[in-house]
Amino acid sequence: MCLAVPMKITSVDGYQCTCEAKGIEREVSLFMLQHEEIEPGDHVLVHVGYAIQKVSEQEAADSWELFDQVLAEV
Amino acid sequence: MAQRAADWLEELKGLGIDRPLRIMNVCGGHERSISIAGLRSVIPDNVELVPGPGCPVCICPEEDVYEAIQIALNEDVTLVAFGDMLRVPVNVPKSEPRSLEQAKAAGADIRPIASPTEAVRTANADPSRLVVFFAAGFETTTAPVASMLAEGAPDNLLVLLSGRLTWPAVAMLLDSGTPGFDALVAPGHVATVMGPEEWEFVVEDHDIPAAVAGFTPDSLLAAMYSVMRQLRDGRHFLDNCYAQVVRPGGNAEARRQIDQVMDVVDANWRGIGIIPKSGYALREAYAAHDARLRFESYADNSRKRVGEMPPGCDCAQVVLGKIYPNQCRLYGLACTPRKPIGPCMVSDEGACRIWWSSGMRDNEWEGRKKDAVGG
Ligand code: SF4
Repeated sequence: MCLAVPMKITSVDGYQCTCEAKGIEREVSLFMLQHEEIEPGDHVLVHVGYAIQKVSEQEAADSWELFDQVLAEV
Repeated sequence: MAQRAADWLEELKGLGIDRPLRIMNVCGGHERSISIAGLRSVIPDNVELVPGPGCPVCICPEEDVYEAIQIALNEDVTLVAFGDMLRVPVNVPKSEPRSLEQAKAAGADIRPIASPTEAVRTANADPSRLVVFFAAGFETTTAPVASMLAEGAPDNLLVLLSGRLTWPAVAMLLDSGTPGFDALVAPGHVATVMGPEEWEFVVEDHDIPAAVAGFTPDSLLAAMYSVMRQLRDGRHFLDNCYAQVVRPGGNAEARRQIDQVMDVVDANWRGIGIIPKSGYALREAYAAHDARLRFESYADNSRKRVGEMPPGCDCAQVVLGKIYPNQCRLYGLACTPRKPIGPCMVSDEGACRIWWSSGMRDNEWEGRKKDAVGG
């Protein structure tokens, strides 16, 4: 429950945004990142539908590699 | 990534520490990565990796789950909860629903959700109906619940809050005098929100090395290397091996929102007891959304006494890192993910479930001769 997943932002509408990762799209709240400049193309760490932190593209790629493994297991 | 993990492993072996060493992690996500990557089998034999209090579902008080079940059964409400909570068992006579899942089968309107925004959507879909959001979780999950309320939730949305802070459980272990570990790997996503500073007490008050880790094997190995090197050199500090994501102070806005919406209170942990300053409660300003104020409690004091683990289940011992999951007498025998007895086998974050799904099949309960289980 505490594992957050990096996603790429595709569009922003106020405190709501649409994110994408591995072909999956999600509506994500930016309310906890309202102090940050966020725009499409940025990567964020998403947990239970909320972006909890901005991350680099490299960090996102590293984590996706891990999630591939995790998803293969469960 | 694989290459970097291999490099860390070499470095770690090169430290040449051969005394027995126990490194605790306090995050289901860490335990999952450790198990799936098979880190236990590649690190030196003298180093033990102990899963500690890392599963919010496992320590959610029995009386809170009971309360959620009773509200769903007896009040005219829709109850929503993170999916993991639905199968968590409570101790009741056989004739009564043992879990939210069974209450749902008995006709209660209970729906699994994956996000607080779904709770809002459910409430908005029918403003005339009360929606109760049973929200259990550690800081990473509680912050979005706070954020949902801070942004302004619909009037018909109530929260049955069962949020917990991670570090007080570690503080309790350390204060007990027999913590059972020599070094700590601190949880990356909790620190992302709350800041790494929360874990400084481990070093400052207890002189135990600590390192915040991410979830990839290389980040975990980097943290293990860091704490082992600290032990070797006798110079202990809080390291941050997930600096790409974990910033000083964490997410200040998220922390501000938690603080705006919630108080930190003493709280009960299932099978463990009250841990000081380890839980969240809604502040008075959010009383209108507090399910605990709206409904009279179904969990009276007599229930609190039964509020432990199911009979025979050693989840509390597992959560505190006192035994490994497969040292429970029921592990893999009466208790499997298909027919879980305790919450540690129900939740994706539970150590029992993680060990089982990563292939650990041997039951090593001390009271049984190993060869008797044929494993
Ligand atoms: S194996 Fe099952 S019964 Fe034993 S501690 Fe884990 S959850 Fe409880």
